[in-house]
Amino acid sequence: MKSFQIRSKMISGVAVLYLKGHLDAHQVARFEKELVRMIKENNFNILINGQELSYITSAGMGIIMGYIDEVREKGGDIKLCALNERVQETFDLVGFTEIYDFIADEQAALEKFSSIHPKA
Amino acid sequence: MKNSAVFTPRPDFSITILSQTQLLKMVVELTRHIATLFQFPIGEAQKISLAIDEAVTNVIKHSYHNDPKGEIGIDFFLAPEGMRILIRYRGLAPDISDEEVNIGRMIKKKRKGGLGVKLMKTIMDSVTYSTTDGENRCEMIKWRTAK
Repeated sequence: MKSFQIRSKMISGVAVLYLKGHLDAHQVARFEKELVRMIKENNFNILINGQELSYITSAGMGIIMGYIDEVREKGGDIKLCALNERVQETFDLVGFTEIYDFIADEQAALEKFSSIHPKA
Repeated sequence: MKNSAVFTPRPDFSITILSQTQLLKMVVELTRHIATLFQFPIGEAQKISLAIDEAVTNVIKHSYHNDPKGEIGIDFFLAPEGMRILIRYRGLAPDISDEEVNIGRMIKKKRKGGLGVKLMKTIMDSVTYSTTDGENRCEMIKWRTAK
């Protein structure tokens, strides 16, 4: 079994990326590829659901950071939800929680997107 | 004041790996295992292993430029006061900035680098880089007491 898995689906106009397992420098290209695909398909409301994400390093956080400006310039956002305590703590250690929205559960996160209208 | 003289000159445990990112997970699990065996709380052990992951990733990416044949030595020194980890490698010497990492500023400048070192310095009590006779060293210490 792969140590990192990613799948995505559209929910109410939001592209939700489900990350599972161990996301390190070895796996990060798959995460970036999927995120870029979403953006190229003009999905600028992106929710990263980390409910099953057990581990993340700066490689994964750097990808989120690298595309946030582009997405926000298009009127969208990248938000994160349902992270476990350990992964949330890793984001806290580098100060991500000051810049990004971290929401406890997916439904609440989707509702937060409802007020955002991406530019065409 | 803690002093690194508490650690013996010889490592308690050493491994040498090739500079391949597929080996990172093994290094992380090994480090976590050593730290928990050595009575670090699991949360601390997980953070120490994350710091090692970041340090070795930097070596693979920036010193060896993903050349899979580079060698990386990792030495673990254990003492009642804490844990010292020495990462030895050749390749390019590290270019580590002392500049404080600010996420907002990095986004504005479209910079991704620096997050790993920020994590290492936040987690560990001491992170120092040096180069002697072509061998680069990253030394990290975590004392047993809270920071």
